Amino acid sequence: MTRVALSMAIAAALGAVVAAALHADPAVPGWLAAIAFLALAAAAGGLARALDAPADLHEERHPLGPSQPAALPPGALTRRGLFGNMWAYAAGAFGVLALVPFVALARRRAPRGTAWSPGARVVNADGTALKADDIDVGGVATVFPEGNVGAPESATLLIRLEEGLLRPQPGRAGWAPAGNVAYSKICTHAGCPVALYRHASYQLYCPCHQSVFDVLDAARPLSGPATRALPQLALDVDAAGYLIARGDFSEPVGPDEWDRSV
Amino acid sequence: MMSSRLARFADERFGCNAAVRVLMAKVFPDHWSFYLGEFALYAFGLLVATGIWLTFAYDPSPAGAYASVVALSRSAPIGYLVRQVHHWSAVTFVAAILLHMGRIFFTAAFRKPRELNWVVGILMLVLASVAGFTGYSLPFDALSGTGVRIADSVLLSIPFAGGWAASVLNGGGFPGPLLLPHLYTFHVYYVPVAIALLLAAHLGMMLYQKHTQFVDDERHVVGRRFWPDYALRAFAALCFTCAVILGLAATVQINPIAEYGRYDGWTVPNPALPDWYAAFLDGALRLGPPWEARIAGHSIPALFWPGVVMPLLVLALVISWPWIDACFTRNEASHNVLVRPARAPWRVGAGVALLFAGFVLTLAAADDQQAFALHVPVQSLVAFYRLLLAFGSIAAGLLAALFARELGARAVQQGDEPERVVALRRNDEGGYDEEEPRAAPEPQPV
Repeated sequence: MTRVALSMAIAAALGAVVAAALHADPAVPGWLAAIAFLALAAAAGGLARALDAPADLHEERHPLGPSQPAALPPGALTRRGLFGNMWAYAAGAFGVLALVPFVALARRRAPRGTAWSPGARVVNADGTALKADDIDVGGVATVFPEGNVGAPESATLLIRLEEGLLRPQPGRAGWAPAGNVAYSKICTHAGCPVALYRHASYQLYCPCHQSVFDVLDAARPLSGPATRALPQLALDVDAAGYLIARGDFSEPVGPDEWDRSV
Repeated sequence: MMSSRLARFADERFGCNAAVRVLMAKVFPDHWSFYLGEFALYAFGLLVATGIWLTFAYDPSPAGAYASVVALSRSAPIGYLVRQVHHWSAVTFVAAILLHMGRIFFTAAFRKPRELNWVVGILMLVLASVAGFTGYSLPFDALSGTGVRIADSVLLSIPFAGGWAASVLNGGGFPGPLLLPHLYTFHVYYVPVAIALLLAAHLGMMLYQKHTQFVDDERHVVGRRFWPDYALRAFAALCFTCAVILGLAATVQINPIAEYGRYDGWTVPNPALPDWYAAFLDGALRLGPPWEARIAGHSIPALFWPGVVMPLLVLALVISWPWIDACFTRNEASHNVLVRPARAPWRVGAGVALLFAGFVLTLAAADDQQAFALHVPVQSLVAFYRLLLAFGSIAAGLLAALFARELGARAVQQGDEPERVVALRRNDEGGYDEEEPRAAPEPQPV
C-alpha cells in the first residue's frame, strides 16, 4: 500500500517535471505536483496507521515555575545599591535618542496643487481638446489639463448636464458653460478614483467605499463615508470654442488629512 | 545506513544523541484540531520557498514592477504557477492561523501558563496580514495600487504622526519613488524575519511548556510518540497542505493583475475588493460614519475611526484576552487540560460575537455588489449592516452561548461527560467558593 502510494508520488512528480519542460498549460504540472503530494501524504498517513502505535502514552510534565529563589552570596549588593529605576530612565532616554534619526527621515510632500492653471485647455484621456458640445448631454469623460494627461491629482470628471439643472453655489455662477460641469475625480474620502456616474439620478459613486456625490449641488456628499464635496473646477470657453480652466480647483484635491489646513 | 552514520558523526562532535532521543520520545496529544497550527506552519514554508523564487523575477522599481509580474506570468507557465502558489499559500496561511486561533480560544488553551504564546500568536497573525497586504501591493496593478492609496490616506488621517509616516513610506508624496522599494523590503525582509523569530519563540515555548490536551490529566501529556508515529502524521499534514494549495493554484486563478492593468491613479476596477482577510477593514471604512472633527487648523478625517482606532481597539482586546478571561473566571491557576466549549458557554458567546462582527464587516466590503444583485439601494444595505454589527453580534453571541450551554447539558444527560464534581469551600462571608478544579501540579522545589 505504502509502496503503491510512493510509486504514484514519484511518477506524478516526474510527470510534473516533464510537463513543465514541455511548457504545458500551468494547470498540468500544477495538478501533477498536487497529486504527487497527495500520494506522499497518503503514504505517510497510511504508514502511521499501519504502525498502530499507542495513542495514550504518558509523558510527565515538569514543573514550570515559580523557581525557588537562590540565596544571595554574602556581600552581594542589594537592589537599592544598583539604582534600578535610574537605569530604566537612562534606557528610556536612549530610546528617545534612537527615535531621532527616524523622525529625520520625514520628507517634504509636494503641495497639493494640481496642473490646472488659468487658460489650460481641457483634453480627454487621448489628449484631444474638447469643445463645449463634444460631450453629449448625459455623458461623462475623464479629462486633464493639456500637456498633463494621466497626472492623477489633476484627473477631472467632465459631466454634461441639461442646461439650467445645476444649482450653482454662491460665487460659482458661470463655472459650467453649456452645462459642462467639472469635479475632481479623486475621492475626498480615501483618494480612490470616483469612477461611476449615474445620469438618471445625477450622482457620482466611488467604487471603493460607496460615497455618493450630488452632481447638481456642488458634488456634496449625499451618503457614504465622505465628509467633503469633490472640489469643483471653474470652466470657461476660449475664443476658439474650446473648454478651458479658469484656474485650479476650488479646494485642495484628495482625501482629508490631519495636516490639511483648509 | 547513511542516517546512522550521520547520527554518529553529529554525536561524536556535539554529544547530541541523548537530546535527540528525548525529542524523538516526546509525546504529542492526538486531536484533529491540533493540526490547524501545523497547516499554517507548512503554508509559511511554501511562502518562503516560492517567495525566494519570486525575488529573482520581481523588479521593485516604480516603472518596472507591474511589467515584471506580468512578464513572469506570461513568459514561463511555471512562473504563473509559482505566483499562484505563493498567493494561495498567503490566503491559506492567514486562514489557518485564524482557525488555529479559534481552537486555542474556544478550548481556553491560552490560560496560564500560556498567555505569552497567545500574544506571540496574535502578533504573527498581524504580521501575516501585513505580509499579505504588502505582497498583494507589489505588482502595483490598478486594484492593489488603489488599495495602497487607501492605506496611504488612512496613514495620513493619524493625528500628528500620520504625515511623517506617509512621507517616510513614500519618500515624498503618494506614490513616491521609494514606495515600492519600501513595501518590497517590508515584504521580503522585515516582516518574514519577524514572523520567523516569533515562530521560533512560539514553537520553543510550546516545546518547553508542553502541549495542552483534552485528556483530564494535569500531570502528564497523553498522546502519541513523536518518532516515528507523530512525525509521519505531521509529514502527511505537510504534504496534504502542499497538495491542497497546489490544486487550488492550478485550478482557480487568484488576483488576475493582467486584467486590471497597471495603476495610474485615476482608473480603478469595479468591483474594488481586497483579499479576504483585509476585507473587514474595507467594510469598516464603508460602514464608518461621515464624521470629521476640525481642531485648530487640523482635521481628524472620517477614515481615522474605522481605519485606525477600531483595528487597534480590537487588537488590544484580543491580545489582553487571557488576562480578561482570568479576571472574569477568577481563575489565576495554571492549566494544561483544555475546556470543552460546551463547558464555557459565555466564552463561546464572546468569541462568536467577535467573529460575527468581523463577518459582517467582511460582507459589508462587497455591499455594492449585493445591492446590485438584490436591487436595493446601497444606502439601505449600509444601514442594515450597521444595525447587524451593533445588535446582530450581541444576538449571535447570546445564541451561541445558549447553544453551547444546551450542548453541555445534553452531554451530561446522555452520560457522554460526567457531571462536574467540584469541591466547595466555606468562605469568610459564610458562602461557598468553588475550589479550583483540576489545577496544574504545584511546582516542586528542585
